[in-house]
Amino acid sequence: MNYNLNQLSAQQQKSSAYKAVKKLLQLIAHEKRNLLLAFIAIITNSLLQLLGPLLIGHAIDAYITTKQYRGVLITSGILLGMYLLALVTSYLQTKLMGSVGQRTLFTLRNTLFNKLQELPVAFFNQNKAGDLISRLNNDTDKINQFFSQSLMQFIGSIVTMLGAGIFLLIINVKLGAATLIPALLILFFTMIVSPWVKRKNAVNLKSIGGLSAEIQESLNNFRVIIAFNRRDYFRKRFHEANQHNYTTAIGAGMANNIFLPVYGLFSSMAQLVILTLGIYLIASHQFTIGLLVSYLAYATNFYNPLRQLASLWTSFQVAMAGWDRISQILSLESNLNPVPEQKKMAATSALLSFRDVSFAYPDGKEILHHINLNLEAGKTYALVGPTGGGKTTTASLIARLYDPTMGTVLLKGHDIRSYTATERTRKIGFIMQEPFLFTGTVKDNLLYGNEEYSGTDKVHLEQAIQETHLQKLLALFEHGLDTPVTSGESISLGQKQLIAFMRAVLRKPDILILDEATANIDTVTEQLLSEILNQLPATTTRVIIAHRLNTIENADEIYFVNSGNVIRAGSLDHAVSMLLQDNRTS
Amino acid sequence: MPKHTTNPAKPSSIFSILKPYKGLVSLLILFALLGNGLNLLLPKIIANGIDSYTHGHFNFKTIITQFAGATLLVFIFTYLQTIIQTYTSERVARDLRTRLADKISLHSYADIEKANPAKLLTNLTADVDSIKMFVSQAVVSIASSLFIIIGASILLLSINWKLALCVMAIIPVIGITFFVVLKKVRALFKKSREIIDWLNKVISESILGSALIRVVNSQQLEYEKFLQANVQAKTLGLSILKLFAGLIPVIVFTANMAGLTILALGGHFVITGRMSLGDFAAFNSYLAMLIFPILVIGFMSNVIAQASASYQRIGMVLDAPAAINAGNIKAVLTGHIQLSGVTLLYGQKPVLKDIYLHINAGSRMAVIGPTAAGKTQLLYLLTGLIKPTEGSIEFDGHRIDEYEQENFYKQVGFVFQDSIIFNMSIRENIAFSNTVTDASLEKAIATAELRDFINNLPEGLNTVVSERGSSLSGGQKQRIMLARALAVEPKVLLLDDFTARVDQQTEKKILFNIQQNYPDLTLISVTQKIAAVEQYDQIVLLTQGEIVASGKHADLMKTSADYVQIFNSQQTTGNYELQS
Repeated sequence: MNYNLNQLSAQQQKSSAYKAVKKLLQLIAHEKRNLLLAFIAIITNSLLQLLGPLLIGHAIDAYITTKQYRGVLITSGILLGMYLLALVTSYLQTKLMGSVGQRTLFTLRNTLFNKLQELPVAFFNQNKAGDLISRLNNDTDKINQFFSQSLMQFIGSIVTMLGAGIFLLIINVKLGAATLIPALLILFFTMIVSPWVKRKNAVNLKSIGGLSAEIQESLNNFRVIIAFNRRDYFRKRFHEANQHNYTTAIGAGMANNIFLPVYGLFSSMAQLVILTLGIYLIASHQFTIGLLVSYLAYATNFYNPLRQLASLWTSFQVAMAGWDRISQILSLESNLNPVPEQKKMAATSALLSFRDVSFAYPDGKEILHHINLNLEAGKTYALVGPTGGGKTTTASLIARLYDPTMGTVLLKGHDIRSYTATERTRKIGFIMQEPFLFTGTVKDNLLYGNEEYSGTDKVHLEQAIQETHLQKLLALFEHGLDTPVTSGESISLGQKQLIAFMRAVLRKPDILILDEATANIDTVTEQLLSEILNQLPATTTRVIIAHRLNTIENADEIYFVNSGNVIRAGSLDHAVSMLLQDNRTS
Repeated sequence: MPKHTTNPAKPSSIFSILKPYKGLVSLLILFALLGNGLNLLLPKIIANGIDSYTHGHFNFKTIITQFAGATLLVFIFTYLQTIIQTYTSERVARDLRTRLADKISLHSYADIEKANPAKLLTNLTADVDSIKMFVSQAVVSIASSLFIIIGASILLLSINWKLALCVMAIIPVIGITFFVVLKKVRALFKKSREIIDWLNKVISESILGSALIRVVNSQQLEYEKFLQANVQAKTLGLSILKLFAGLIPVIVFTANMAGLTILALGGHFVITGRMSLGDFAAFNSYLAMLIFPILVIGFMSNVIAQASASYQRIGMVLDAPAAINAGNIKAVLTGHIQLSGVTLLYGQKPVLKDIYLHINAGSRMAVIGPTAAGKTQLLYLLTGLIKPTEGSIEFDGHRIDEYEQENFYKQVGFVFQDSIIFNMSIRENIAFSNTVTDASLEKAIATAELRDFINNLPEGLNTVVSERGSSLSGGQKQRIMLARALAVEPKVLLLDDFTARVDQQTEKKILFNIQQNYPDLTLISVTQKIAAVEQYDQIVLLTQGEIVASGKHADLMKTSADYVQIFNSQQTTGNYELQS
């Protein structure tokens, strides 16, 4: 399955758009009450702001021109009350809407992270870490900005505009209609330009993701850059990404800034219309000066929010472009979910078997061809063969990091796909070529993802370590369980492999796969590891991939893996001679 | 580039970032002011129209030409302003990123690890973005807002100074409110960036460790970690929000009070005949004009607060002293290396203790020893990736930092223990620059036994490999790393457990190839396998940071019990090694 976010097919994209909108609505569905309250606050606030000029206009016509100062004072009193109310409503609208925004951002990030956790390893192999981080942080923040700042102003502006528009029409239909014509032109303009603006922003967000990926890759591998004196190369590559981002950002910026001047032009046109037409109407006694003054105020009330909408509209377009990128992730489905067993398989005594298994990575070449394999409980199997022959792929299929393209993998006689992740991972332990540690202590890493011992106190844990004969390995760490480790370079590869080994053994799996798991451990310590492996429960099956022959000499059976074929070797000698003679590379 | 204050206690103001762009910023402010200045005239034109109408000499044509002309100019100026605005802000962002990247590129390896790549990522993305926002929005908005406020104030004063003073009383009130709130907000912004660093770290670990997470089925655990950071982010976001939710209504209310004053006091003036109705209308319009820029300054202060916090963080990176020593020796290395009394401490913990080593030019040395003996650190010291706490490392009698860096690294090849593959073509991964000649590249590929593998790829050398090299097998990655080190035609080659992931037959071939194709090479190899290095000129046994034995294989077999133990641990399959 294709998981590359930058190369999703049109089909995948299309289904994503629909699901995305649905998802977005789901995200804010539970906020109904808060949204409702916020709307009420926004509408009240906008109405209060609209009523102000009306009262002032009324005061001019009714009291100032007739020189009744008492009326002016009464109006002022009413206004004061309104302004106080507005103080409360405007606080509420920001508070409520902003909270919805923050919580939505929170939910959105959680949903996204959760989705990331659901997706299979293939997804991570096909996408760059930096780009994913950018999607999780940068793109969600664009949506947050829209929610917490823009949406409120957006609604407020629309309400104010609608109200002002209605007042304009009520006071004088002819003048009102004329005043609103420029707004209509703005609407057309916006409709035409928006898709272009969104496209420009999408391109820009993509280049931001690319830039972030570039940084991530370079910084995490900085040793190589220094040791090969490629600081200049780092700078050059970064400058390229930076320059590309600059170009797309200018494109997006130019698109985003087109609205403001145009909106300004049209709103000035509206004022001109009011002035000339208004005075004409006054001259023909259909209108008063007082009304003209408040009319101008309403026109400002109509066109100022419209001008604000210009920038809000931009932030909406940016948010939509960000949302598209996020929903690309949300639209992906893991292809490794448990599936009910299709057909009954012939009974087998093997703990794990491959039935006519073939496998190809999404980029094409078949790595394994028609493999048949039976692994019995309690036995030790070794996979040997030249690099790139398919050993790691075979191991990955046993752990169901991938599903075979053809054929079936059976675990205890059942299709491995019919097990839930929890059942499967409890049975299968896999120590990978490149050990990964989380920042924390040795203990954190030993117990990482281990349900049995999570929350176990130190005494019981040490007991468990004794039982699995790991105490000697643990003693190699200066502060034992409490030795601090990081995901970075502060700890040697050999030590990382030791921790990964202990982590897997503590989980007491039925099948333990060691993929070059001890390659960087010295041979003396390695003997310790083989002792521990020998002391595993009698039913544990071991699958060992190694280049060092002494690690596999005790294997019950040896398989020779090369060019996508798995051949059973009669003996260690046979395996070695195959290894030496067979020069085919895959 | 402006010189930055190196005193961290007194960070330069965010505005100092604009210095190199004086020309653009001036142009920007000029257009903004022209646009806004003309905008100020519009109500005046309208007021004139109303007044001239009440006086009975209203002229449609003059009004329309005046107004339309002003409007058109406003449009042109605003448009120019937005273009320059985009251009300037993007340039500031680009240049800032370049400066940061250039600075980071001068960092030493230890600096980068200390600075934490996740934080540097935030510096280069989120922090630069908030400064960009500052340039694109705050600069112009504040300039034109101030201009409008001052312009409108002058006009108000010229119409009726008593009323104007009452209205302008709102400005200090608003100023003080901002000052108080922003002071609180700034601290929160700084904290929120730290939380973003944290989020980045959790995300990044969950991505880099994705395979492990799936093998042990710990997705839930990762989610909980993420949740913790995300909850913090939310809490902080809500507290920032609370401050702003209070700020804006107070300002609007204050502005509304000014409107009220105009009505009550201005109304009184009109009634008593001390002010015209047209002026009264203009007063209202100018107030409306005054409120908007005040609000804008409010929003922008938010932007400024964020940008200042970001700039401070970026400043810390920019102001950090560069790690590069300006050595100038350009000599060709012979490969003669001398370590005298080298000690390396990580914190308090000694990793290497008082190491003395003498390596002859063109000789081969092996370093063996248990896990965490300090073998890799020894190689890092030899490449200058880290510096010894005590003692000296000399190549041909000169310390590493006396050599010109480029010249030095061109002659020292290093194959790291773990595979580091970039998301580039295989050619770029090996040549790693455009300066490697095709002949050197070919030789390196042939030596690393990669020829067949590359020939079988659909696009050969131009095949792009994925980040973390996940489409390659462990051995393929390791051999690409070797080819990368050989492509620079090194005089000294450092191998860190290179053959751990390469099958025995290929390993033999490669080691033979190296001897054949690079005969003068000084080779230092960290390894686990004695069989492969029995013929070496010197074998060093390193344990817990100390050299416990050194000499030729035959000598060590006689003198070192530890060495014999390691040798014996590998002997069970020794007969197979001999066969080959």
